[in-house]
Amino acid sequence: MRRAFSVWVMTLVIGTVVCAGSQSGFAADEYAYDLVHSSVSFKARHLDISWIHGRFNEVEGKFSLDRENPAKSTFQLTIKADSIDTANKARDEHLRQPDYFDTKQFPTIEFKSTSTKAIEGGYEVTGNFTMHGTTKKIVLVLKGGKEHTFKEVKRVAFSTELALKRSDFGFDKNAIGPIGDEALIIIDCEGMRK
Amino acid sequence: MPEPLLYLKAMGTAAIVSAIIVLAMVLARRHASTTWLNLSCILGIGLGLVVGHSVVSLRLAWPPVNGLDRFLTITVPLALSIELIAGFQNVPRWVAWLLRMSLAATIPRILLHGSVYLSDSPEGWTPWQAGMSLAVCGALLAGVWSLLSWLSQRSPGASILLALSLPILCAGLTVMMAGYIKGGVAAFPLLATLVGTTVAARLMSKRSAALSNFRTPAIVGIGVVGLFGLLFVGRFFGRLSTDYALAMLLSPLLCWVTEMPQLRHRKPWFVGSLRLVLVAIPLLVVLAAAKRDFDRKMAPLLGNTQAFPQSNSLMDSRSSTNAIGRPL
Repeated sequence: MRRAFSVWVMTLVIGTVVCAGSQSGFAADEYAYDLVHSSVSFKARHLDISWIHGRFNEVEGKFSLDRENPAKSTFQLTIKADSIDTANKARDEHLRQPDYFDTKQFPTIEFKSTSTKAIEGGYEVTGNFTMHGTTKKIVLVLKGGKEHTFKEVKRVAFSTELALKRSDFGFDKNAIGPIGDEALIIIDCEGMRK
Repeated sequence: MPEPLLYLKAMGTAAIVSAIIVLAMVLARRHASTTWLNLSCILGIGLGLVVGHSVVSLRLAWPPVNGLDRFLTITVPLALSIELIAGFQNVPRWVAWLLRMSLAATIPRILLHGSVYLSDSPEGWTPWQAGMSLAVCGALLAGVWSLLSWLSQRSPGASILLALSLPILCAGLTVMMAGYIKGGVAAFPLLATLVGTTVAARLMSKRSAALSNFRTPAIVGIGVVGLFGLLFVGRFFGRLSTDYALAMLLSPLLCWVTEMPQLRHRKPWFVGSLRLVLVAIPLLVVLAAAKRDFDRKMAPLLGNTQAFPQSNSLMDSRSSTNAIGRPL
């Protein structure tokens, strides 16, 4: 009788553990933004004849990816506006000033997803993009999503491009001047599973 | 891009509007009192600012989103309101000064609202740093305001107001040269309205015996608050250096030199001219230094490759003096 009870308890424990394990297999994977292998860069027209390129060096983010149920996936990105780098210190200082990013007032640029759906070759992520104190709904088309396990750390990568008008985000139209209103933002993001 | 002709147009319009309002209000009333003249000056400054800002297309947001918005939509109207209240004869002087000092104490906090300085982020100030910084800035404003008002009561004259206009002009130019164009532009309508109002008020006070004892605390108050606000926004949101900001804020106090016994009883034109010269000297030094900084750091961004020494080193491409003078 006692032995039968022990067997029954063991079966229950093992069954619970196995079920829990299989559940976690279906749950969303959590990833942290890998700053070393990712970049947020941009380019904007200069005098409408050439392009100025730049990047943000300090970015944080995380995303959870549920391949079974993409609607449950979430994406979040925080860019430190002060970390702008256009390979020219004076210009970077100028861009940090209130005529442009006003980094003392608006220190971060943020994206937070509100819905996700799978599309061919990636995901279409809708979310709130906040820059210069203005929040607008945007749609990011994330391409990629391939996984690779390197040194026992699972990695997933996406890339996307989006065009934004600075005037839509409260940038002073008078200060737009020789730099075009529209900026092209290129995000290449590699996430490391937590 | 800076547009000097537009700024001149805005200044001219703001000055004319301010002056016309003062003249029209005083002339429209047969027995105008100093209270009425004070009221006309405040209205003249307020409307002159609105017109001047619209000419330069200074777009302000409501609710305010940045330091300059808060300066122009909260601080300046508060200063105008307080000077309006203080101008009434039946308001005790201590009440007027209590209001002024309360405003001086709160302006730094208003201007820094929501900024990185008062946030919990790593760049933010500690509570102790924030308290000290706000207290020192408030004390500076209160000190300059009370000393200039005292001087305008003790030894009145348009020269104090014109001397106050000089650092406002200098503040606009240096804030612009430091790279914050919109912040600098805000100075020009303010400067013009102060000059327009001062000239008109002076004309009216000479014309009528009842207005001859008109002192100008309202114009002084708004001028000091305006100068402080421009410098504060330029320093904490732009890249104006603390040294330049302090020199410009304190420069009008040099008008006190003319209160020395040897100078005090000289002819008014001599005292007035001396005040302007004394205030202009440090401002010219600041302007020269700011222009040097501009030529070194900002001019290359505007495509002016002559303004800084060229270098052949590719390593300089990341320094403040860009080797290839690449424009912004």
